Amino acid sequence: MSDKNPYDVLKADVLEVIEESPTIKSFYLKPEKPFEFATGQFIELSLPGIGEAPFTPSSSHYEKEKMWVTIMNAGFVTNEIHKVKKGDVMGIRGPYGRGYPLDVFKGKDVLLLGGGVGLAPLRCLLQTMLHDVDDYKSITVCFGARTPADMIYKDQIDDWTKYKTVAHLCTVDNCKEADNWNGRTGVVTVLLDDITIDPKDAIAVVCGPPIMMKFGTFALLDKGFKASNIYLSMEKKMYCGFGQCRHCVMGKYYACKDGPVFTYEEIKNEEKIWD
Amino acid sequence: MVVSKSDLKKFFTSIQSEFDVFVPYETEREVDNLVIKKFDPEKEYVLEKYRTVDPVRTLYYFPSESVLPPSPKDKKRIIAGVKNCDLMGLAVLDDALLKDNFVEPNYSQWRKNSYIISCDCTDALSTCHCVLLDNNPYPIKTDDGDALFDINLSPVNNGYIIKVGSRKGEELLQKIKEVCSLKEVTVQDKETREAQRAEVRKKVMDINADFTPDRNYDVISENKEPSVWKEFCVECVQCGACTNICPTCYCLILNDESTKEEFKKVRSWDSCQLAGYAEVAGGGTPREYKWETFRNRYQCKHNFMKFNFDKLGCTGCGRCISCCPAEIDLREVIQSLQEV
Repeated sequence: MSDKNPYDVLKADVLEVIEESPTIKSFYLKPEKPFEFATGQFIELSLPGIGEAPFTPSSSHYEKEKMWVTIMNAGFVTNEIHKVKKGDVMGIRGPYGRGYPLDVFKGKDVLLLGGGVGLAPLRCLLQTMLHDVDDYKSITVCFGARTPADMIYKDQIDDWTKYKTVAHLCTVDNCKEADNWNGRTGVVTVLLDDITIDPKDAIAVVCGPPIMMKFGTFALLDKGFKASNIYLSMEKKMYCGFGQCRHCVMGKYYACKDGPVFTYEEIKNEEKIWD
Repeated sequence: MVVSKSDLKKFFTSIQSEFDVFVPYETEREVDNLVIKKFDPEKEYVLEKYRTVDPVRTLYYFPSESVLPPSPKDKKRIIAGVKNCDLMGLAVLDDALLKDNFVEPNYSQWRKNSYIISCDCTDALSTCHCVLLDNNPYPIKTDDGDALFDINLSPVNNGYIIKVGSRKGEELLQKIKEVCSLKEVTVQDKETREAQRAEVRKKVMDINADFTPDRNYDVISENKEPSVWKEFCVECVQCGACTNICPTCYCLILNDESTKEEFKKVRSWDSCQLAGYAEVAGGGTPREYKWETFRNRYQCKHNFMKFNFDKLGCTGCGRCISCCPAEIDLREVIQSLQEV
């Protein structure tokens, strides 16, 4: 039995805040001591006196001194977090949960299918994989957003695609002429028409809003991906992060402790996973 | 060993400087009237009869308390008169809160600092149904490892047979011996205990004669027909009493009460029966309708906890039935599902 208090918090200084889109900001944090986590795991990020919420870091897990966290303004706590400025102090506890099984991904074609702020955990995975890019057969990044203004991490695409095994595709649901958007339009699943990898043994990693996860998964299955090769990053209401508050229970599983990363095969029989 | 009733009270009186002692007292209500309170040498307590109104969980897992930093627990405690249904509840909480690498700081301290003196039931309430869950109205120590009690008492002629269930129980017995003159257990004492146990067990069986003991719990999750559940939950007002009074419920919410100088987290009870329990920031919820919320408690106790801990989350204490303002009887719900 561990004597460590699972609620222990590390202080973290806010080094920088970037506005990624009208509703999404990224926060560059420096924890008071190096913070170890595995890509796909999550943290509870707190704002003193306000509250805390679960987020997956959006920077590589090889970066331990500092971390990026990308957050959408979606509720009470995130609205307050969006008011945070450089020099403020936040709290980090964790990491919690089961991340992406990189050993399983190695040597394979890996497809990242993300929508909206769901790109955040996928960026963490991507940056981590790019650290050992030769270990993966190929990496295909398929990102979607509602409008060109909602597309985050646009300035980083060149950094990703400089590797010859990395491809990047993106689409927006809709755009106006004034947006000067040259890319594709349509929901993110339209990008699957353009991919060239063989889905039979390929890995797909999906993260985004519930409706996008649902139809993304179904489209991948149609395309020939195996349910056991489709990895979903599930989001549920969470307080503790380690299986004691029970809010995130999805049937037999805890989203926090058994996930947040599940294969579709593991959870396909549980009720209401997409809600 | 057998301790006389008057000697045991002497022990509780003498040990107060070292331990906070908690025992059940009768209130003015006619039935279901036992309340755990701090020991008072001037008053008469009741160790036997049936379970207390509140589960013993409430002494280990407070309605609201600080988890960061953990709230202080300086004094050791003796909690006496605990019934088997509550011990089974603690077994579930142990699995939920002490396993893995994540140990609940307050609960684990209370478990370490508290000594449990349980007692056989000598009576049963109309809501008692431990026998339907394969439990007994008295605790048993199996051969492997510690029992859930430190000491168990079985009432016999003006005294109690003492059964030690753990190392902490041994420790307690030594302290009892310092104050009390104990007698050897006679054959007659043992016969009295067995007869008494059989009688109460039969009483609980008779109370539950209308219900099948061999119940299939898979039907709770398998029965996806909303109309069945909609019927059950018509009168439910979603007050959450059933979960607040359950010996195995531990759902929590966490509030941040940090200042710039110090991080402080306070955990409070939550209830899956309250609206908004699983709702996320975007407004989505996996349980949109009342019948889904209502069904969740049944699934959690009988399906999810069984999978998580290999134990049922229902110990048959019947408190959720006693406290329900809509008079919903969990036994009837499960029985009806068997027949659907």
